[in-house]
Amino acid sequence: MRLSRWATFGPALLLMLVLGVLPLANLFYTSFHTVTWAAGKATFTPAGIGNYLALPADPLLRAGFFNTIVFAVGAVGGQMVLGFGLALLCSRVTRGRVLYRAVFILPILIPGIVIGAIWKLMLNFDFGLVNQITDLVGMDPRNWLGDRQTALASVIAVDIWHWTPFCFLLLLAGLESLPQDPYEAAKIDGASWWQELRYITLPLMAPAILVTFAFRLVIAFKVFDEIYLLTGGGPVTATEVLSFTLFQRLFTEDREGYGSAMAVAIIFLCSLLLVVAVSVGRRSERAA
Amino acid sequence: MTSKRITRRQTVAGMTAAAGALGLPMIGAAQGKVSPITIVVNQSPWFDSFRKTVEAYEKESGNKVELDVNPFAGSLEKQRNSVRAAKGQYDVLIMNSGWFAEMYFGGFVEALSDIDPGFKLDKDIFTLNDTVYFDPVKKTMTPSGKLMSMPISPLIPVLYYRGDLYKQTGLKAPDTFAELEDNAKKLNKPPRMYGIVQRGARGPATVSFDFYPYLYGFGGSLFKDQAAGDYTVTLNSELGRTALDYYIRLAKEAGHPKTAAMDQADLIQNMVTGKTAHVMMVISAWSQMDDPNKSAVVGKVDFAPTPHAPGHSTAPGLGHWLGGVARNVPDERKRGAVEFLRWYQTKAAQMVTAEAGGIPVSAAIYREPLAQEPRFRWMKAIAESLPHAVSTMNFPEASEVIPILELGLNQAIAGETNSVAALNSMADQIHAVMAKYKYNTGVLPKLK
Repeated sequence: MRLSRWATFGPALLLMLVLGVLPLANLFYTSFHTVTWAAGKATFTPAGIGNYLALPADPLLRAGFFNTIVFAVGAVGGQMVLGFGLALLCSRVTRGRVLYRAVFILPILIPGIVIGAIWKLMLNFDFGLVNQITDLVGMDPRNWLGDRQTALASVIAVDIWHWTPFCFLLLLAGLESLPQDPYEAAKIDGASWWQELRYITLPLMAPAILVTFAFRLVIAFKVFDEIYLLTGGGPVTATEVLSFTLFQRLFTEDREGYGSAMAVAIIFLCSLLLVVAVSVGRRSERAA
Repeated sequence: MTSKRITRRQTVAGMTAAAGALGLPMIGAAQGKVSPITIVVNQSPWFDSFRKTVEAYEKESGNKVELDVNPFAGSLEKQRNSVRAAKGQYDVLIMNSGWFAEMYFGGFVEALSDIDPGFKLDKDIFTLNDTVYFDPVKKTMTPSGKLMSMPISPLIPVLYYRGDLYKQTGLKAPDTFAELEDNAKKLNKPPRMYGIVQRGARGPATVSFDFYPYLYGFGGSLFKDQAAGDYTVTLNSELGRTALDYYIRLAKEAGHPKTAAMDQADLIQNMVTGKTAHVMMVISAWSQMDDPNKSAVVGKVDFAPTPHAPGHSTAPGLGHWLGGVARNVPDERKRGAVEFLRWYQTKAAQMVTAEAGGIPVSAAIYREPLAQEPRFRWMKAIAESLPHAVSTMNFPEASEVIPILELGLNQAIAGETNSVAALNSMADQIHAVMAKYKYNTGVLPKLK
């Protein structure tokens, strides 16, 4: 019996180890080395924890860490509020569901490169549509992607535009599956719209909100294409994010050892943040 | 009845073989049949001319060439993956100025003269600051080293200026930085028209590439003497400060208000929409100026070498492309690759490149009547500039130095720090990189 269990579980475990653990182990091993190429061969020179010790002094990484947190919190916060608001509004719509869902889902379906092109044109200083509109109301043109004050906010706005439908769809599914009994009881008790939202909808929706938030937070931490296409991390380091820094250090600069150490640190950070976010969410769910 | 038709390719191949047998020089001088080869190349504005040149080679020689075309970064990754394997996928690597040193130092490309001792570089081929040579012992790039590669596209920046506005206002093409500043100020009428638009954004090699003509044109440099293996960092010299102060002043007084965010696409856009009087930009964008589908200034843009300070020459930074032969491919394919490069340097091949809109690597083309035609009015500026072109970083760790320059220069241009602090900081960081890799390096005393 035990043998047959291992016979079925063993290959699955082996496959998981090969596909999941081995690449991570290799990354971890490389992070303790300096890799150089000479005479057509790679040389791994042990570097101890030198690569890890160099991380805090990296100006791009420091900026990337700060900006990634601002980006993730700003973008996901905006998406959750907007997505939930839209879901609340649409949950009462009974006609034309297919149409509005198709329209709302559109930004998620657009490839990242196209989103980059759309918003690069929209936010262009000289002829962008946004500046043409602000010009109509008498505002001076702004270099949305090139000004330190507006660059990160602009990328966050693009990300909100891109991913709000994702939050909307998940939260709408959650709203539509809520039991109706508590609402009927609240109506009999004369509860206001706000009281329904505060004391029934939000507590019942907490698990769906938490899952959506966690999903989006993980994806927001991995942001790369929008930064790469819209700002390249600039101006200066205004939109530098962790994934972009890693791309530069490991791929462009070809620093495998240092880049691996950075990758390990980012994985650790992301995991830590996710655990914190989920545990805070669960605690507030229990409290509610 | 069946008729046996002789194809054009067979005719050309036959003529080539006959000419070879008779010892006659053929147009392009393509040699006999060799193994098919694969070239890894990037999708750049000059690619179309390269493709047409390769097609001409195939037609003339009967040899097969496969092109693997990629975006800029993708081309580097593919080359790295190929040369680091036991057996390479690509025979000819089209290497950018940003990574050819990595291929030389790493031993990934084989000297052309080792593959074919009889291979000689045509006397008219620009050696592009001698970057086609490499001494594997001294780790320097001088003609005393081995011939490692063939120039494929000699990209350098030149000054694009609005010739029509110059005529209207009676200006003459600027030779010095002072003249450029005067002219840019005279034509600066923002926001309708900027005196100049500079490429000040931080990118893969963006603001640094834009800054080199200023730095070297004022007599400054990044390192003391790379050719002699002296990597003392000289960026934070008085000349470096003069160059950076000038760059920033030009941006403030005659440039685009958002210089710190301007990339090459913005420069092209401002030029073709008639919103700037000058840009200093890589020559490969010339064809867009005269394309009626893209440009509002067809026939109005003229070209000149990048300006310089009195007593110095024009000094555009090289952003060129070199063709090298991978070491880890079979010998017959190496020979095939060398045959292609041998043909590529001929006047006939370079004429095909020029006619297709590419930038020739042979001085012979710039002496042809074609160079006097209005559509090729940029050729004079290139011919004058190429002998002075500067290869700024001849070492494989350049990819670690460029981000330092990109960030530091962008900070100074954006006004986040002053030129002295930026230059001192960049010099210290570059020195740390060079010291880490054990180069003969040092750093100047800090600017005050």
